[in-house]
Amino acid sequence: MLLILPIILFLIVFFLIPYANMVYMSFLMKPAEGAYVRQFTLANYARALGDPFHWKVLRNTFWYSILTAAIALVLGYPVAYHLTRASGRRRAWLLVLLISPLLVSVVVRSFGWMILLGRVGLINQLVRSYGGPELALMYNPFGVVVGLVHVYVPFMALAIAGALQNISPDMERAARSLGAGQWRVFWRVTWPLSLPGVFAGTLLVFILAVSSYVIPILLGGSNVLVMPMLIVQMLLDAFNWPLGSALSMVLFGLTGALLWLYVKLLNRALRWSQP
Amino acid sequence: MASITLRELTKRFESVVAVDRLNLEIQEGELITLLGPSGCGKTTTLRLIGGFETPEAGDILFGGRAVTWLPPERRNIGIVFQNYALFPHLTVRENVAFGLEMRREPPAAIRQRVSAILTKVQLAGLERRYPHQLSGGQQQRVALARALVTNPAVLLLDEPLANLDAKLREEMRFYIRGLQREFGITTIYVTHDQAEAMVLADRIALMKDGRLQQLGPAETIYRRPSTPWVAEFIGLSNFIPGTVAARTDGRLSVRTAAGLFACSGDVAAGEVMIMVRPEALHFGPQHPNRIAGVVRERVFLGNLLDYQIDGPDGMRLRVQADPSRIFAPGEAVEVSFAPADAWAVGPRAAGP
Repeated sequence: MLLILPIILFLIVFFLIPYANMVYMSFLMKPAEGAYVRQFTLANYARALGDPFHWKVLRNTFWYSILTAAIALVLGYPVAYHLTRASGRRRAWLLVLLISPLLVSVVVRSFGWMILLGRVGLINQLVRSYGGPELALMYNPFGVVVGLVHVYVPFMALAIAGALQNISPDMERAARSLGAGQWRVFWRVTWPLSLPGVFAGTLLVFILAVSSYVIPILLGGSNVLVMPMLIVQMLLDAFNWPLGSALSMVLFGLTGALLWLYVKLLNRALRWSQP
Repeated sequence: MASITLRELTKRFESVVAVDRLNLEIQEGELITLLGPSGCGKTTTLRLIGGFETPEAGDILFGGRAVTWLPPERRNIGIVFQNYALFPHLTVRENVAFGLEMRREPPAAIRQRVSAILTKVQLAGLERRYPHQLSGGQQQRVALARALVTNPAVLLLDEPLANLDAKLREEMRFYIRGLQREFGITTIYVTHDQAEAMVLADRIALMKDGRLQQLGPAETIYRRPSTPWVAEFIGLSNFIPGTVAARTDGRLSVRTAAGLFACSGDVAAGEVMIMVRPEALHFGPQHPNRIAGVVRERVFLGNLLDYQIDGPDGMRLRVQADPSRIFAPGEAVEVSFAPADAWAVGPRAAGP
């Protein structure tokens, strides 16, 4: 039991306390000069929830994140599938290929995308050399989603691979012996049994995408505004800590609500695994 | 129902030959067991017959029709695995109906056939349960029902009883046998348990290193093993080394350290091992082949006593006898056996 003490202390100092502080901050007032005064108010929440601009940003944030999770699923599933079917050296190599990008900082990878996607980036240079038009691949939602998907696909693939690992090969042999061809084996047996991994992966990628800051700011510029960017603007530029904190709480609450709904759906689809 | 023919069937994994030019004819409606130690190629053979592996060479025929290159879903087979491989996300009913749905049978027919077979395996009433809510024995019967409901040409069983406790295993052996006889379906049963093989099979195919060692009914393999390895694998054996002195009409006279013994065998001359089963060695001089020895150890097995006896020239004999007479360790005894119970095989060193 004592061994768990260090991590609990760590969490309390670096997570719980700052978090509680933010909750506290969200009920304070913003003065003309300075970041906050110790006076109770609900005005922050009124502004956070009342301003249609905030709702637009929230909508965009969730939309980009859902899109990211969906695309990461489509791209990540085949990777996971082949990873589980490979063995020995081939599998080790696939794993290295999948995970090694994570060793490079997100900032560096985003700059890499800027080199590819920019107005005078590699892709545009190639297209223009063939007489094509200039493509707007960056400083817009497209660039942001590309960056987000790229970074989070490995997480999706690993989550799905985990679930696929647990499917016994005899299960698929049994399905084939009963007359199912390769496609039907996948849709009727493999896919349903991999759903726990799919749910875990989409959940994870969604959460990561909602809280992304670096990628939207580098690849979206001033044309894309997501909640983390808005909150940082509020805290650092406007120096309005109470409102920034309230916006954080709103993001937290709404994300939590969405996830709760998702998990409910999940449990219904997976009722066969309940005892 | 179909007969199965395996012709020069060969399967290699990297440098290992798992199945080595196997030739086997299985009659329609027969239950044949593939028996052997781990790594002998029995499971690989089963997978080849099912279409889950492709052979490097050879042919597989069902009822004279070549299926060697057909995928499993086109071979009309039923298979039961050691871990049952029931679909955990489907109910019992949906599991059993799966094969019929794949064949696009009309829903009414599916309902009726599934109900019928579930009643037959005594699982009526459990249709809406999920596999993890069933006991091992019940899961076993769902797996059987699922495999049989489509009326396959061939039934494949891969050590289906290995996960059950001893008592249930015994019950299920007879149950599977009964079901198989009733459906009259050509069946291949893989096992490493020789007692199981002997109870179930019309014929046993004993395999080692990817090759067939002996094929025949249990009694033939038990009483007339073709090699010392077969004799050792099936049941317990005593081996008495000797040299063939004379041979007349399949009757042999073999010179051993304990004297001249009369026995039968396929060997014509040279060094042999006389194989005698422990229950064929009797205390007392009533049979012509006699050995004098001393009891080294005695074990009580309930219905039998198991003795280890030291004979002449370092000979070690194992005798199993009923408890009507009991001999103590250290006692001098005489054991004898009938020529009909003795079978001579080529020496161990040569091997199969």
